[in-house]
Amino acid sequence: MQDATSAAVEDLGDADLMQKAAHGDRDAFAALYHRHHAMVYRFARLMTGSDNAAEDIVQEVFLAVMRDAARYDPTRAALPSYLYGVARHQTRRRLARDRQFVAIEGCASDVNEPVADGDVSATLERRQTLQRLRRAILSLPRRYREVIVLCDLQDVSYSDASTALGCAVGTVRSRLHRARHLLTQKMGCAVPSQEDHSRLTERCA
Amino acid sequence: MKSMPYEDADLAGSLDALRQDVARLETPSHVETAVLAAWDRAHAPRREELARSVWRKAAAVAAAAIIAVGLGQLGRELHRTTRASVEPAVESRTLLLVGEPILRGEPVRVVRMRVPASTLTGLGVRSAMGDAAAHVDVDLIVGEDGIARAIRVGM
Repeated sequence: MQDATSAAVEDLGDADLMQKAAHGDRDAFAALYHRHHAMVYRFARLMTGSDNAAEDIVQEVFLAVMRDAARYDPTRAALPSYLYGVARHQTRRRLARDRQFVAIEGCASDVNEPVADGDVSATLERRQTLQRLRRAILSLPRRYREVIVLCDLQDVSYSDASTALGCAVGTVRSRLHRARHLLTQKMGCAVPSQEDHSRLTERCA
Repeated sequence: MKSMPYEDADLAGSLDALRQDVARLETPSHVETAVLAAWDRAHAPRREELARSVWRKAAAVAAAAIIAVGLGQLGRELHRTTRASVEPAVESRTLLLVGEPILRGEPVRVVRMRVPASTLTGLGVRSAMGDAAAHVDVDLIVGEDGIARAIRVGM
């Protein structure tokens, strides 16, 4: 019976689930979480470069959904765009709070992924490239990082990205163009790691 | 809406590889546990409040029913008494103030005592009963502080 209820809830659209969650339906809220947690987590992880921060942001986003489900208007934005908007806000707050701290975490998949015996060199090179790209993305100004993460890494349409970011589609396109240009420059020369960056900062001071 | 083409093929390849890498990232399960626990915490008081409200309403309905039945019985009793008594009994009572005056709305208790009629003589009240050794019923009005405020005597 419980399974049948869960299955029925899973079949509902986002707007219906939000409405049910607003009326205290736990199954609907759980279904919303299952449907959207991964994209929020990935967005937060790419924006902050930190697993812990991403986990906190996912919690904050869904707590906000819990509190404000009744205020969600599906005619204004699709739920993913709405969630990206909330996640973006939470990410800003988190980054502002953690500005003084230095991230030391790498991507979990880098550590856990076994290296294939036959192609050790290629695998290591690929990991190194991805690590450099992550650092380059993290070093972008936030408004450029957001469009790269949304449009190039999360496959969000320009229209949905503009809704999530609260700007015109044309702005998304121009920011994306500029962001890619900056990334190309950064990938062309060695992007300093956080440790290198700190050392450089000390030297310049 | 058509996506903007990449100007740098290397960057496009790297971003594609990163996209695939990121697609494997999963939210740790303890986050879901924490989120759903927060939901339960936020909604538990509401459920308790609902249950409390239901019980409160049930108690109010029960009390109203008891009062209605009681009033009904009292009404019937009064009706019967009124019809049965041909001449209403006239009872004369005297109230003797013996302490602080009783304020309006002040809660008091009534303690009924049976005392010899001679006791009333000491209070300056003459009992209608001729025999001083006979007993009379006296109501002692006691204030909330336990101190007697008045004595009511049936004459």
